[in-house]
Amino acid sequence: MVDQVKESILQFAPFQSAVDEGFWHRLSSLKLNKLGIDEAPIPITGFFAPCSHHQVSNHLTLLAESLPPESSEQSSTPAISRGNRNRCPVPGILYNTNTLEGFHALDKQSLLRAEAKKIWEDINSGKVEEDSSVLLRFLVISFADLKKWSFHYWFAFPALIFDPPATVVDLKPAAQWFSLEEAESLKAACNDWRNMCSTTDVPFFLVSIASNSAVTIRHLADFEACQRDGHKVLFGFYDPCHLPNNPGWPLRNLLSFIFKRFGNQKVQFLCYRENRGFADLELSLVGEAAISNSQEWINNQNMPNAVGWELNNRGRKVSRCISLAKTMDPTRLATAAADLNLKLMRWRALPSLNLNVLSSTRCLLLGAGTLGCQVARMLMAWGVRKITLLDSGKVSMSNPLRQSLYTLDDCLNGGELKATAAVRSLSRIFPAVEAEAVIMAIPMPGHPATSQEENSVLEDCKHLHDLIDSHDAIFLLTDTRESRWLPSLLCANANKVTITAALGFDSFLVMRHGAGPMNPSHEIKVQKDLPAEIETLSIKDELRQRLGCYFCNDVVAPIDSTSNRTLDQQCTVTRPGLAPIASSLAVELLVGILHHPSGIFAKAEFANSIEASSSEQPLGILPHQVRGSLSQFSQMLLVGHASSSCTACSSIVVSEYRKRGLEFILEAINHPTYLEDITGLTELKKSAGSFELDWDDEDDDDEFLEI
Amino acid sequence: MCFQYVMMNLYEAQHHGEEHFYDFHVVYSASYKVPVLYFRAYCSDGQPLVLDEIEKDIPVNSAQLLARSKWTFITQEEHPKLNRPWYTLHPCGTSEWMKLLLCKEDAVPVAQCKIIPVEKYLVSWFSVVGQVFSLKIPFEMLLDNSLLLHHNIQ
Repeated sequence: MVDQVKESILQFAPFQSAVDEGFWHRLSSLKLNKLGIDEAPIPITGFFAPCSHHQVSNHLTLLAESLPPESSEQSSTPAISRGNRNRCPVPGILYNTNTLEGFHALDKQSLLRAEAKKIWEDINSGKVEEDSSVLLRFLVISFADLKKWSFHYWFAFPALIFDPPATVVDLKPAAQWFSLEEAESLKAACNDWRNMCSTTDVPFFLVSIASNSAVTIRHLADFEACQRDGHKVLFGFYDPCHLPNNPGWPLRNLLSFIFKRFGNQKVQFLCYRENRGFADLELSLVGEAAISNSQEWINNQNMPNAVGWELNNRGRKVSRCISLAKTMDPTRLATAAADLNLKLMRWRALPSLNLNVLSSTRCLLLGAGTLGCQVARMLMAWGVRKITLLDSGKVSMSNPLRQSLYTLDDCLNGGELKATAAVRSLSRIFPAVEAEAVIMAIPMPGHPATSQEENSVLEDCKHLHDLIDSHDAIFLLTDTRESRWLPSLLCANANKVTITAALGFDSFLVMRHGAGPMNPSHEIKVQKDLPAEIETLSIKDELRQRLGCYFCNDVVAPIDSTSNRTLDQQCTVTRPGLAPIASSLAVELLVGILHHPSGIFAKAEFANSIEASSSEQPLGILPHQVRGSLSQFSQMLLVGHASSSCTACSSIVVSEYRKRGLEFILEAINHPTYLEDITGLTELKKSAGSFELDWDDEDDDDEFLEI
Repeated sequence: MCFQYVMMNLYEAQHHGEEHFYDFHVVYSASYKVPVLYFRAYCSDGQPLVLDEIEKDIPVNSAQLLARSKWTFITQEEHPKLNRPWYTLHPCGTSEWMKLLLCKEDAVPVAQCKIIPVEKYLVSWFSVVGQVFSLKIPFEMLLDNSLLLHHNIQ
């Protein structure tokens, strides 16, 4: 009887792959620890479940458990683990190559044929009736780039093809095909099948309908028995697909099996789909397929052709690639954790925390000793990433105890250069830090240079000038007063945020330098229409508001403080607790400046001032100077305004530097009284006691200054 | 307790048909003594989504709520069993708002509130945190505790 109606080709929804991140983690670990360069194929297990949502198909999933266990002993348990109702195990094979070229060079045609052949052989040998999941055998090729943490992969779901293709006679929701009684019975039978451990992971089955509408679910092997009983039989399978007009991929090989094994030319099938763990007969489909191949196909021992390479998300027949660097690369993990930590601070306590400004502020640390090491660590904790350390010294045996970036190894063989060792240490703590080392001594007044040294001294000055220009915040953390002079001058000239920390035996000073003298103050800047003369005139007024630098409070220019001093005055001996305290305050002060709307121009703030109480500054007040005493366990907040006679930041000195540059520096270095002369300090000392200073002088204990 | 939820990014769905997959785990935090919602998101090929992309998926209301709220916000923590970073709804506020939820009668001091069965606690807890992702518990589950026994609670 010739069929008058032209039937349409049965179109199957392709299987979709899903690889859990855990699979790649385990594969990476397997590759690194066990496999090495061995490229032998690895047997793996995939998992799938029937569709459980009417809008979304289920996938064939690879999990960490899909790979064989790493244990060296050959275990007696079979390679395929028993699944559960949500995880139907399916055998597969993985070809993982050692190179990307190797990956692309794999002969995909023959690999697919090899797996299809296994399915064909399982159909012929009767293995399918024992374990029907072999009909879903799959293949994966991959390349794991363990340096970049990227994974290339490609799935194939081999399906034996009919030529001519099978056609669909009928396809409708199961609820429309079964009678009401049959439907109830079917639902109950399916639920039993799904609830029992022994059958829940068996993806192919028979739906046997008795004449009294009682439905039972049976194993594929029972087909002939069902036929003898005279029952109506549908071939059922777990269908991962959700589409209303297409059965899922598993039906392909099932049809091949049925046709080869039993010779049926018309096959009725049930695409079993669920909702919330129960059979969903609206979503599930019942259909009838017509296979028009001749008897030859059944008798032929040659394998039919196979298809099955998966298309990527854009529908192209190419491999896929994903990057897991963010969750596998330790450096990225550390960076993400650090960032999240800071964000947590912002969410919980400090919504106005500006993480961008912190991570982009370039900090220059002059000195990599007790203060330098601590400041560097604290800066990193605040999210500062760009840190330059300058120091000419080497790590000595006593250093590691107090200088927190060094260990004993750095002291050996004469000692590492401090700046280099510090940078290495910072990178070990936090790999994403951008730390640089500068090996250089800071030229100091009162330490005259010989004519041979002159050139290198001038070079160092130039270098320091350039360093200060190329950074946003400078920390003066050296161990002598005079070494702070040149940096203070250069910072005042460049108007850079500058923080000084200085230690006595049991006392410390932490302060921020005021703005440089050559820039109009913040308030004056706002008045744009002021003529130039008024601007220069008001510099004197502006001085009143400009905060002082480290040297403003001195009446003595910086000179050689190290010679003619006793040992304990030459090298700074301090109580160990002091440096961490001072360093921490120095960094907190910087963070305060960076968050203050006036920045370097911010006025000195005190705890009980009007400004503080009305302040929107969630970080709190921003003092000018903090002087602390360990012997008293006390701390004072002071302010010192800029001195017009300051040897480092007064407009006289800065303009001399601007006019004469390095020549001026050299003169200051070589002639001890030069600075005092030009700033008028010499005059000042002569007429001590007989002039009015327009400073805001607070309680200034001299003992804090002798450092 | 683990379940997988597929989130269709509606914007993307209209323009690119891209599906985003979300896995949710409920893990007990020994230090905070409350359940914590762990989640991660990825595309169909397994490529994980970053927080910015996730924030585009969650309903606008909850995005705003998360930005403002002091009760909960998204952080990244190491998953205690899988040892990989997952996103979580930070649990520091959980015990506070659970108290508000469960002990409604002002006259009754918190200490005297009845011992709540685990299932009821979890369902109540979930009715709040689920809102971030517009996850809804079927009404029947709120009434019938026995339905919860279907899931493996680890």
